[in-house]
Amino acid sequence: MNRNASAPSASVAAGAAARPSGWRLAVPLSLVLLLAVLAALPSFAPYFYIFVVTEILIMGLFAASFNLIFGYTGMLSFGHAAFFGMGAYTTAMLLLHVELPLVWALLASMATAALLALVIGFLSVRLSEVYFAMLTLAFGMMVYAVAHQWRSLTNGSDGITGFLLRDFGLGLDLQLADPAVYYRVVLAVVAIAAAVLYLITRSSFGLMLRAISENPERVAFCGIDVRRHRLAAFVIAGLFAGLAGALFAPFNRVASPDMLHWSQSAEPVLMTILGGAGYFLGPFFGAAMFVLLETWITSYTEHWMLFLGIALALLVMFFRRGVLGTLLDRMLRR
Amino acid sequence: MAKNFFALFKSGLVSLLALAVLLPQAQAQQPIRLGGIFIMSGAASVYGKFAQQGIQLAVDEINAAGGVLGRKLEFRIEDSQGKADVAIQAARKLVFQDRVDALLGLDSSGVATGLVPVMPELRRPLIITHAATPDATGKLCNRYTFRISVNVNQNMMAAAHVAADSGAKRWTTIGPDYAFGHQSWEYFSKYLKELKPDVELMKETAFPRFGNEDFTPFINSVMAAEPDGVLISVWGGDLVNFVRQARNLGFFDRDMQVLMTVGAATEVLSALGEDMPEGVWLGTRYWFDAHDNPVNQAFVKAYMERYKTPPSYNAEGAYAAVYAYKAAMEKAGSADPEKVTEALSDLGFQAPNGEISFRAGDHQAVVGPTWGRAAAMNSDYGIRMLDPVRSFKGEDVTPSVEETGCRL
Amino acid sequence: MPSIIAALLNSLDIAMLLFVIAVGLNIIFGVLNIINFAHGGLYMLGAYFTYTLVGRLGLPFWPALLLAPLAVAAIAAVLERLVLYRVYGRHVTDSLLLTFALLLIIDEGVRMIWGSGIHVVRPPELLQGRVNFAGVSYPLYSAFVITSGVVLLAALWALFNRTRIGRVVRAAAIDRDMAQTIGINVPAVVTGVFAFGAWIAAIGGVVAAPMRAIDPGMGDKIIIESFIVVVIGGLGSFPGALLGALVLGLIHGFGGRYLPQINLVLPYIGMALVLLWRPHGLLGRRAAA
Repeated sequence: MNRNASAPSASVAAGAAARPSGWRLAVPLSLVLLLAVLAALPSFAPYFYIFVVTEILIMGLFAASFNLIFGYTGMLSFGHAAFFGMGAYTTAMLLLHVELPLVWALLASMATAALLALVIGFLSVRLSEVYFAMLTLAFGMMVYAVAHQWRSLTNGSDGITGFLLRDFGLGLDLQLADPAVYYRVVLAVVAIAAAVLYLITRSSFGLMLRAISENPERVAFCGIDVRRHRLAAFVIAGLFAGLAGALFAPFNRVASPDMLHWSQSAEPVLMTILGGAGYFLGPFFGAAMFVLLETWITSYTEHWMLFLGIALALLVMFFRRGVLGTLLDRMLRR
Repeated sequence: MAKNFFALFKSGLVSLLALAVLLPQAQAQQPIRLGGIFIMSGAASVYGKFAQQGIQLAVDEINAAGGVLGRKLEFRIEDSQGKADVAIQAARKLVFQDRVDALLGLDSSGVATGLVPVMPELRRPLIITHAATPDATGKLCNRYTFRISVNVNQNMMAAAHVAADSGAKRWTTIGPDYAFGHQSWEYFSKYLKELKPDVELMKETAFPRFGNEDFTPFINSVMAAEPDGVLISVWGGDLVNFVRQARNLGFFDRDMQVLMTVGAATEVLSALGEDMPEGVWLGTRYWFDAHDNPVNQAFVKAYMERYKTPPSYNAEGAYAAVYAYKAAMEKAGSADPEKVTEALSDLGFQAPNGEISFRAGDHQAVVGPTWGRAAAMNSDYGIRMLDPVRSFKGEDVTPSVEETGCRL
Repeated sequence: MPSIIAALLNSLDIAMLLFVIAVGLNIIFGVLNIINFAHGGLYMLGAYFTYTLVGRLGLPFWPALLLAPLAVAAIAAVLERLVLYRVYGRHVTDSLLLTFALLLIIDEGVRMIWGSGIHVVRPPELLQGRVNFAGVSYPLYSAFVITSGVVLLAALWALFNRTRIGRVVRAAAIDRDMAQTIGINVPAVVTGVFAFGAWIAAIGGVVAAPMRAIDPGMGDKIIIESFIVVVIGGLGSFPGALLGALVLGLIHGFGGRYLPQINLVLPYIGMALVLLWRPHGLLGRRAAA
């Protein structure tokens, strides 16, 4: 099915041709500036915002990993939280029982999440569209139910708590218990992960994914194994979602079954739609909008879900390319 | 040139002096902020609402009498939704954004096991007013965490006494599938065996998920096992659902002793009305009709006038916690969190359910629950009353600090 | 033996409730080609309107059974005219996302109007009490739920297969353009079908109200359950909704009773197995992409 409306390929290519050379410098420069501002954030922002931006970075990575299969490969998964939660639980259990330096826990979480994605993906990518969405939903909720009921392993609905953050590892002497320090660690990890993810989308593999999302039959006629590409994308997405979850558990000091629930799977979907599936940074932008709006609106009213629902409805009806997507489209056309 | 400089210097000095005088006064006018974390949505949201009412009453009374240390009290409530990670984020918001001086709350044992270990990072005192897991003042205890309400240890010791006296031999349980349900059964079993070694603690137990809607399969399986006595630690909206469904299945017509560990919560009693069966044993951390002291009489009267319903134990716990903070701040002479935390340890003050003190060894208040049989309806209040009533003394039901595993 | 009968009867009343919700979902999918996430919200509105009519305004249960679904159907018709029609012909994920947004709005709207706590509705006087069946004491109200499910099933079958309206709707479902060409007012049929599906969901809500707690989370819970039913039985299949509901009802009734350690996982295992073996469901036909 043609997903032209949100695939990144067409408009980016057209935009690249139309953009003056000044633009070429503007994008990387503004990114560097953004990173610098973010790195310096604890020095000038109110203390509470350190927590807010840490959450934005983590959820942004989660949403960007989702967008690899949604925006780039054209598959809507409603069970992405399974990998996020798997990463969170892996890290939480390792920190609780083994007291590893964080970096090894992060790597282990990426491995377990990727493994889970391999299993679920292998069974799911053979299905199309709606059935794929339903099956990923089923698997996601299955993992949730297992986490809930296997009390002896996962501590059931109470989740895993009380684990301590010691050091990061790699010889770096970092006071991870200090929120400002943990924030900078998250910033570094997310920036590196995002860069890797971006390079993947720019590679020939990424190009192939976009082709598959636009017209899978034609790609198959060229002799390409569509299913294997989809599975690879699914596993990579699961791996990065696991990394996001692994950063999230120490941030919140809890790994709980709710991180596996379908409502947690819906968050990267919402964030990606908000920001726009058509640009790589769209999900990050969407995550920022989502978390900031939630933080601001909940200080005035507890009914923030209402605004979220209305925003989502309006976006689906009128601004199919998301807020960042629409903005960038307008700017690039000039 | 020098003249200008001198003038500048003079005005600078004056302003500095003015600031020095005004600033502490400005500080003094600054209200003292309390932060509450309760369940404000979902099946147990009435508990959060009643706690809020208790806090509001206490704050209004205290402010009308001049405040604490000449400063007004303010409070803000955040919804934990019964989830530990939401509660931790709410606590961070309250402490770092809303700048509260002290925290109170927690409607769920699962939330408590998540939030209590984080308290040393937040560096504010927390008085737990509801969550009953022994771990909060046991293996997870820390200097910032206090509990003013009856915990699982204390309530289950009392329940074991009620069970032992009832004569039932084969006991089982239906409890929510999280810390509170499992620990209630664990401690009840332990204490009952100590009192009556010949009781049988059955293998067939039921732990439906917290928030489960359909209890029928669990009710059926427990009935099929034919126990003499059932300990029910289901609470909140779940207990309302459970009682109605159990009635339909004839659960309460059997010849069994039924103990509901927190059944006498007015939140549950008012939702059920006559549907709460007569004769079952109901436990509560506080029963408004069971304490004959001036503080309680004033509290119940004021609460009923304002909210038209008797105060629940959640309301009383929150109310008492606010007064505990007042006493601690006055003892410390300041609202500084570290000083208040010091002052709370080994503090004694008057609460509606009696003279309360936080034990220095684990910060648990030495209090006892009230148990009673569900009796006739009181049409004014719209709830069943308790008759007979057994109030347990804190000293009789609280285990020693060594037993709790707390190392402060 | 009695415990098996008890589990079976329990399964049946769960199944009937699930069938009522799932059949509306299927009807909407069959004609509009939309997977209506908001269906759970419509069911919930039915229950909440019942609470207002019976619990607050003191009406007896039977008029509420008539009025509440009509109110919900009216709301659904408005939603369809204003919002949903914009995603017709678009990718099916757009309708999933839009109806999900509607579910969020309904969820929060319910919280704003009725509060976050739970509410209780008592069964009508006529249906309180118990009945004895094969050695098991069974609540009369549950028997009523099973009976109403069967009645609804028969009525729907008759409607779609024996009446002119049924034929019109089936025509619109099979080939919308052709139906338009021969003079059927397709937009009106579409709105009508959506409202009708909502009406059935709301009836489910009214019937469920005395059985379960009325709380703002009930819409979310039931929509996942109905997705499982529809997946197992087959999207767009009427007898499939019945079969799926029976399977899920049995899983809940027997799983909760005999396999409590894994009773939460079983429905999703069932869902996954069906999707892997027969993605169209046990009795389903192909969904349009």
